[in-house]
Amino acid sequence: MLHLSSWEIGPIFRAMTRNKVGAVLIALQVAVTMCIIVNAVHILMERTMQMARDSGIDEANSFYLSSTGFADDFNDQVVIQTDLDAIRALPGVIDAMQINAIPISGGGWSMGLQTQPGAEFEGVGTAVYMVDDHVLNTLDLELIAGEAFKPSDIRWRQRSQRDWPAEIIITRALAENLFPEQSYQDTVGKTLYINDDEPVIVKGIIDKLQAPWVGWERLENAMLSPEQTLFSSSTYFIRTEPGRLDELMPAVEQMLADSNKGRVVRGLRSMQETRDRTYRRDQAMIKILTTVMITLTLVTALGIVGLASFNVNRRRKQIGTRRALGASQVSVLRYFMLENFLISSMGVILGAVLTVGLNIYLVQSLGLTKLHWWLIPVGMLTLWLVGQLAVLGPARRAAATSPAIATRTV
Amino acid sequence: MLNMQNVTKIFRTDLVETRALSDFNLHVKEGEFVTVTGPSGSGKTTFLNIAGLLESFDDGVYDLDGENVRHLNDTQRSRLRNEKIGFIFQSFNLIPDLDLFDNVDVPLRYRGFNGSERKRRIERCLELVGLANRMKHLPAQLSGGQQQRVAIARALAGEPRFLLADEPTGNLDSKMAHSVMQLLKDINDEGTTIVMVTHDPSLAREAKRNIFVKDGKVSDVTHISASAPEPIASISASGARHV
Repeated sequence: MLHLSSWEIGPIFRAMTRNKVGAVLIALQVAVTMCIIVNAVHILMERTMQMARDSGIDEANSFYLSSTGFADDFNDQVVIQTDLDAIRALPGVIDAMQINAIPISGGGWSMGLQTQPGAEFEGVGTAVYMVDDHVLNTLDLELIAGEAFKPSDIRWRQRSQRDWPAEIIITRALAENLFPEQSYQDTVGKTLYINDDEPVIVKGIIDKLQAPWVGWERLENAMLSPEQTLFSSSTYFIRTEPGRLDELMPAVEQMLADSNKGRVVRGLRSMQETRDRTYRRDQAMIKILTTVMITLTLVTALGIVGLASFNVNRRRKQIGTRRALGASQVSVLRYFMLENFLISSMGVILGAVLTVGLNIYLVQSLGLTKLHWWLIPVGMLTLWLVGQLAVLGPARRAAATSPAIATRTV
Repeated sequence: MLNMQNVTKIFRTDLVETRALSDFNLHVKEGEFVTVTGPSGSGKTTFLNIAGLLESFDDGVYDLDGENVRHLNDTQRSRLRNEKIGFIFQSFNLIPDLDLFDNVDVPLRYRGFNGSERKRRIERCLELVGLANRMKHLPAQLSGGQQQRVAIARALAGEPRFLLADEPTGNLDSKMAHSVMQLLKDINDEGTTIVMVTHDPSLAREAKRNIFVKDGKVSDVTHISASAPEPIASISASGARHV
């Protein structure tokens, strides 16, 4: 029969207060481990969620490359049209277009859009993608309001040109940032102002398209401008049928290189590779933090094993005496498990305070988000569990102590 | 109370086999005070360990208070030790990190008594050994004699019917030893059966009967009290004599 009195919580606690150095050190170790692990898990979750954000385009089947003409007779406008016609005609290519910047790549254009004209009004920042009428099909975007670009909407833009087309398409997020009080559908047809006072009309709304800068807080603010660029270099964005990417990437590169010897074709890269490169630091951080967490947990577990083993060896006579006085093997096992539970409890309570403290510091100094409250109880439970598992081995050895030890004088 | 018949205990290693007890026979009646003497290595401690259910044995029969203990499992042996046997050790075996109250409390917690019952028993037993005013002291703050008194209080707290004492005065000076011995005699006078292992012949003479152990067997039995000689029919010793 299980009697609560035989759990010895009071005597264990009182004994610990009289011999506290080891217990305090382990409790501190548990607290620091919990503080670091919980905050690390929070950072990991945040990074993982950032990395998992949908860019809005068909990344798995898309790639891009650039063409830079150098020959004296190189005609950008003709070459671009010829190239796009040739690429679109390739079997396995769903669609292709010229674009000035690649989503989530790290480099691109941005502008400010205002709802009222005038330099005194604050604009809402947006990424600018200069695209043609193939944009929805090439990027696999969903038009959720208004109209798509027609071929007649597309214009050619020179490098020195400052003005903007009459109509643009914007993302739903940008629409909601511009007019937070209204439904995004109501933004269609509204006039916005670029360069302080140049009017542009919202022709359509797309569901989602990320900007090139993944660290930007308004990542989903993007506008599509119906124009093809006549800059020194042209970037072609190509979407293929599923499973044809690996085959078509070198094929397109080769075709472009062969079609005109007056240019250089370079920068061939898939969107998957772009994503990997963009989030490389985040992935490295995830690996480092995971390693730190595992190492810390192991060190803490070993510390607990060490203290428990030391205590078992130091108290062999005492354990034998307890056994002689009527402690069963289960009682001895429970004694050490409970002792560890009390030490871990002190550790995780202190750890919870330290965890919140560190998070407040990280929020204030590094702009991290606030900790999810449930990570703290999960962290406490985890450290409790680690402690109990770590102490199990030494506790079982203690339980196996013969009561006859009690009568030995050495 | 305690009945051992042909109990044999053999310690084995890879190379050596040592017969610590060989056909050991002893019967201790309820209320007796028996001392066990013998040279070092004679088997006194092995007898004590087996009698106290601290160790198993290889052959023979051992009945404790009418219960055959040979095939009891660890939990059953622990329960029997806790309920029926009180232990007093040569080096006191108090738990250094616990105060006197908690030390005496140890066996009572395993017994499952509630808090108020445990408190009543602890206070009564510490009162009995004259240390009720030092309940919150740690063992290290007491003299050797006082520590042994605490150990006796701990042994008595569960109100066992059988006290096993292993050289209880071995680490005490003569004055303290006499005091502890007197306490044991008082406890015995109140009906508790006591078996005490000792090296000291003068202490052995204070019991009602002395068992001399040699080579793992009872080799001699001495009845100390002339008034009522104890039956020795169950003892396979070489002889018995009255002092």
